[in-house]
Amino acid sequence: MVKTERMQADAAEPAPGSAWLIGAAAWVIPGLGHLLLQKWWRAILMGGAVWLSFFIGLAMGGHMFDINPPEGSSLLLQLPPMVANFGAGALYIIAWLLGYGFVDDPAQAARATYEYGNTFLLIAGLMNGLAMLDAFDIAAGRKP
Amino acid sequence: MTLFAALASVVFGAMAKDNTQERVVYGFKVFAEFMVIGLVLAWILYFIP
Repeated sequence: MVKTERMQADAAEPAPGSAWLIGAAAWVIPGLGHLLLQKWWRAILMGGAVWLSFFIGLAMGGHMFDINPPEGSSLLLQLPPMVANFGAGALYIIAWLLGYGFVDDPAQAARATYEYGNTFLLIAGLMNGLAMLDAFDIAAGRKP
Repeated sequence: MTLFAALASVVFGAMAKDNTQERVVYGFKVFAEFMVIGLVLAWILYFIP
């Protein structure tokens, strides 16, 4: 079977429910999806990169985005970075509940590492999105 | 930038390719690309006022 036929055959098969659960677990706790699949090294590397990136971002004084745009900004500008931040799963939700990393503080924004922190926080969420898709594909049998 | 490149290339390397050796090589390749592109862009932007 050539690759395109195999891809079409794969696409026709719906993913099992467990794959969706693994995907959800991978999003909520970075690395958990691969741990459940017993892909230890991937869990350590991918989950570790996400956790590290998130906490480095916070330590650098980075700021996360939520649905409430600050004064002078619009929801349209707020939404893409919020989606990226939201990819970090429970890390984002817990920080949001604690109000940590969401406060608009001019002193924090003046830090030299502020923009670097923002970038690390965005990247943490985006990398967790990739890790989640990877865990889902493995659980669905689309990837070894 | 180096830290960012390292973390991103670990994730890209871990999820790409079919075997461990290919993944490691790909991870290093992505890391090198991040670094080179970052430095080139930095120098270009340095000369733009």
